[in-house]
This record gives sequence, C-alpha cells and structure tokens, in this order.
Amino acid sequence: MTTALLVLTLASTLAVGAWLGAWFDRLAPLLYGGRAAGPLAPLRAGAAALLRPRIETEAPDRMNARLAPGWYLALAAAGLSVVPFAPGAALIETPVGIVVWGSCEALTIVAVFLHGWSPNAPFPLIGAYRYAAIGLPVMLPSMFVLIAAALPAESLSFTAIVESQREVWNIVRQPLGLPLFLIVGLTLTLRGPMDFADAADIAGGTSAEDSGPGRALWQGARLAMLVSFSAVAATTFLGGPLGPALPGPVWLWIKTAAIMALTVAVGHGVARTTPSRMLTILWVVLLPLSFVHLLVSGVLAL
Amino acid sequence: MSWLARLAAGAPAPVYPVIGEGAQPRVERLFASAALERAQSPRAAALLLVSGNIPEAHREALDRVHDQVPRPRLGLHWEGDDGIEERLLDAWRTLCAGATGDADRLPDEPPNPWEGEGDFGQGGEGMMGGVPYGRPMAMTGEDVRDGLELDRYTARVGPFAPMLPPGLVLEVTLQGDVIVACDVLSPPYPQPEDADDPALCAARMLRLLGLPGPADRLIRGGAAHAIGARRAIPRGLGRLENAGDARMRFADALRGRNGGAADGIFDTLIGLEWSEAALALASVTPSALRQAALEVA
Repeated sequence: MTTALLVLTLASTLAVGAWLGAWFDRLAPLLYGGRAAGPLAPLRAGAAALLRPRIETEAPDRMNARLAPGWYLALAAAGLSVVPFAPGAALIETPVGIVVWGSCEALTIVAVFLHGWSPNAPFPLIGAYRYAAIGLPVMLPSMFVLIAAALPAESLSFTAIVESQREVWNIVRQPLGLPLFLIVGLTLTLRGPMDFADAADIAGGTSAEDSGPGRALWQGARLAMLVSFSAVAATTFLGGPLGPALPGPVWLWIKTAAIMALTVAVGHGVARTTPSRMLTILWVVLLPLSFVHLLVSGVLAL
Repeated sequence: MSWLARLAAGAPAPVYPVIGEGAQPRVERLFASAALERAQSPRAAALLLVSGNIPEAHREALDRVHDQVPRPRLGLHWEGDDGIEERLLDAWRTLCAGATGDADRLPDEPPNPWEGEGDFGQGGEGMMGGVPYGRPMAMTGEDVRDGLELDRYTARVGPFAPMLPPGLVLEVTLQGDVIVACDVLSPPYPQPEDADDPALCAARMLRLLGLPGPADRLIRGGAAHAIGARRAIPRGLGRLENAGDARMRFADALRGRNGGAADGIFDTLIGLEWSEAALALASVTPSALRQAALEVA
C-alpha cells in the first residue's frame, strides 16, 4: 500500500512538476519586459507538438532515436525514486542514494549523446559530442558536492542527509554547495549557460531533426529531469521534507518548486560562452573550487 | 476538431522564417514583438514564412527548406504588409483543423546519383570519404591543432541557416567542431540600412549566447539585462584591423554604436570552433559582412 502510494506520488510529482517547469519557462519573459503566458500554455504547446508528425531522417539509428527520450525520462524517474518525500519515505530506500543519483547523472550524458547521434545529421551530432565533452567534467564537481553533503550525515543515503539537517540546513553550513550543484542541474536539463547540446548556433543541436511526438517526449523528459534535479537539490541543501506545520511532501514540493524557479531564471538570464572556454572554466576553476568545498566541508564535519 | 487539435490551435504558431533580400530587419522585429514561436529548425515548424526576394540561384535551397517542414505545412509570403501575425495564426489554426497544406516541391530522392566507386561503392577510400549521393563523407586529414590525423567533414551551410546571416552560403570543413577550411560560396543578401541598427546587431549575438529574452527586449527598445553576456564572448575573437574584436563590437552595439568595415573577417574563421565563428560573423553589421563576402566570394 505504501509502495503504491509512493509510486503514485512520484509519478504525479514528475507530471505536475513538468507542467510547472514549462510554465516557469513561459513566465520568464516577464524578467525581460515581455509577455508571460498563462498556465494552459504548456499544455497547448505539448498538444501542438503531439499533433505534428514524426519525421525520419535519412538512414537514422531508429532504435536509439526512439529510446533516447525514454531513457532520459526513465533516468529522471530513477533519480527521484531515492528522494524521501517524508522523513524515511523514499520509494527506494537505499543506503547509497547519492550513488544512484550520480549514476543517473552520468547516464544522462549517454541519453543526450544518443539523441544527437541517432538522426544521422551534422548539427545533432555536433551537439552530442559537445554535450559529452562538457557533461563529463561537470560530473566531477557534482560528486564532490554530494559527498560533501554526505559528510555531516556520515551516510550516502538521502534519508540520512535529510536527518542531518534537522538543526541547520546544508545551504547554511556549505554555502558553495548549491551554486555548484546548480551548474550540474543546468547541464542535466540542457538549460541556458550549460545548454551545449541544443544550442542556437547549431539550429537546436540534438533536437534539430526532432518533430512530433518524439519532440514532445524529449521536451517532457527535459522538464522531468528538472523536477528530479530540483528535488535532489532541495533534499541535499534545503532539508527536503523537513519543515513546520505542513506535511513533509508539501515542504519538499515547495522547496523543489523554488529550486526549479531558480534554475529556470538562471537558464534564461545567464549567457552561454563557447564550448572550449566552458571546458577551461570547468577544469581550471570549478573542479578545484568544488574540491576546496569538499575539503572545507570535511574539516567542518570532523 | 479533436480536443487535442483545439488545444494545439491555442499554442503560438511555430514558424521558420526564410529571409530574402531587404527583409531582415522587419522579420527580426516581427518575432521580437509577436506571439509567434520562431522555430530553431524547419523540423520544429509548421509554417514557413518567406519574406523578401529570393534570388533564382537559391530557389532550390528554398524548396529544400520548404520540404523539410513536416507535413501538413503551409508557406506564406510576406512583403511587409500589416496583419502578418493574424495571417500566421489563421494558417496555424487551419492546419490544426486538419488542412492537408502544401505538397512537397522536390522529389523525395537524393540530389545526386550514386557514385559507384571505392570499396563500398561510396567513392573515397576504404570506408571513408567520397560523396555518395552528393553528400560529402568524413575523411581523415591533418588536425590543425596537433598534427594528428582526424576526420574532416565538409558541408555547405546556408543560405537560410538560422545561425548565419540570410543568403550567406559557406562551405566549411570541420574537424570535430573546429573549422579547418572555409569558402564563401554566396554573400549575404543586401539588406536595408535599418539592418545595421545596433540593437538588431547586438540582439543577433544575444540569441547565439542563449539569451532570446534579453534579445527581444533590446529590439523592443529596452535594455538587455543579462548576466555575463559581454564576458561570454572570448577576448580577441574575430579581431579586425580598426574594428576591434567581437566582444568590443558587441559592447559598442549595446551603446548604440555601429562597427566599421569587416574586411578580413572570413580569414579569421579558420581555427575557430563553429560557435565562435557564428558569433564572429554576427558581430559585424550585415552591410559590412556583405561587402567583405563580395570581396572573397
């Protein structure tokens, strides 16, 4: 019974969260004096994509073209499955939740690469290779940040990490963690300054040849990954389901929505530099910075 | 009409613009102010908006872009008259209601015959190179950075590629993401003086930097509030004599100043990544870029 309830909660969190993320994207023009769209706009856009036909390029990798959006969505769901909706109530209660989430992050690179590989077209392939080049060094700061959050909890379990924040949230004792993890989230969800897979200079990159239900599913999976990333960030840095008065799941949803809004705002307002410069920034600045963050967090946790 | 079609009809019309001679500023302003979705590729569109004169030499390219828009599709011509937004929305609603739209303009077959040479009938050597069906395949060549033998891929981009100025056709040879050879096959179309408007020039660069919101705001007459836009452009990119680099030209455009001549801009592309090259080309005014292209084409 509890498992069925958690499955339902996970599915509805992903679905409602994806709609909310899509709406946030359509509210973002307000930041720039533009017109915002109403809450029905994401549903209309989804219907428009579903109504269009699927186009097949010449000699595509059909199997991976169909599987890539499914993998992306499955990874978002798998990542969310280890996040506790209430203290001790994750769908998959594992002592190695961080490792499971880290695996989902790494496999996202594979899913995005396959999405760019499968149409057998130049711009999608360039987007795929760019993403692989950028995604790999992003995984290292991610692991350092998550391990740093695990140190006060003395466990790799998200449930233990939540418990370790009863007195003080990790965002207070590890202030660098969330900004660094936000870069990971922008990469996983192909957004703004980290969207090297689907950039404008390659006509939408891995999505350049997408149309119809395939495009709708890919965009839906991107939004689902935004929900999962935000839930993991809310759990790791904002105490997850901990909070006064309201039930645990409600607190997690509120915090997840806040991280989603932040990720969307950063995605719409921060410039994307060129891939080679970003690689330099990742290896020369962010990687050492995340290591220092881990070192300081470790010393403080002693 | 099904409930799905009714829902879809309320979505912004997905439009891929094909910009011809003299139409660049009006098309850019249309998409900055209207409730339309500018599709990043023809595959993402349902409507094809053709604006301005398309030279005879590029009619086949136009037909190819037309056929890349998934069916059902509709093509519309626009010469600057009022009411284009309503026409596009009407066309979108018509498609959602089940209209069959435009037929293909070109036969669904390769543009060139099969070249039956090489071990696998593709031309070239072994399993690489050649131009099967007129499509150039990657072939190993010396890497410009370290001398290793890496795949070189040659392709023509333009005249209606969204990241390049309208009309510009480049034949580029890429090693990975790096341009190792670049020829100008066709210069950008002539555009009115208005296309050199600093706000439009800066907005083109903002779009390439992943900032369509600030770009639209700039075109509407507001300020481009974005974090790190200037610093995201590599220092020294597309440096020209007497015209500074792309970062400087972008900063000048934000201050309302136009750049100067773009002589030699195409020479600076060799060794750049594709994204850097697109930024460098967008950093000069359309009139200056056309002049530079005419000199090398």
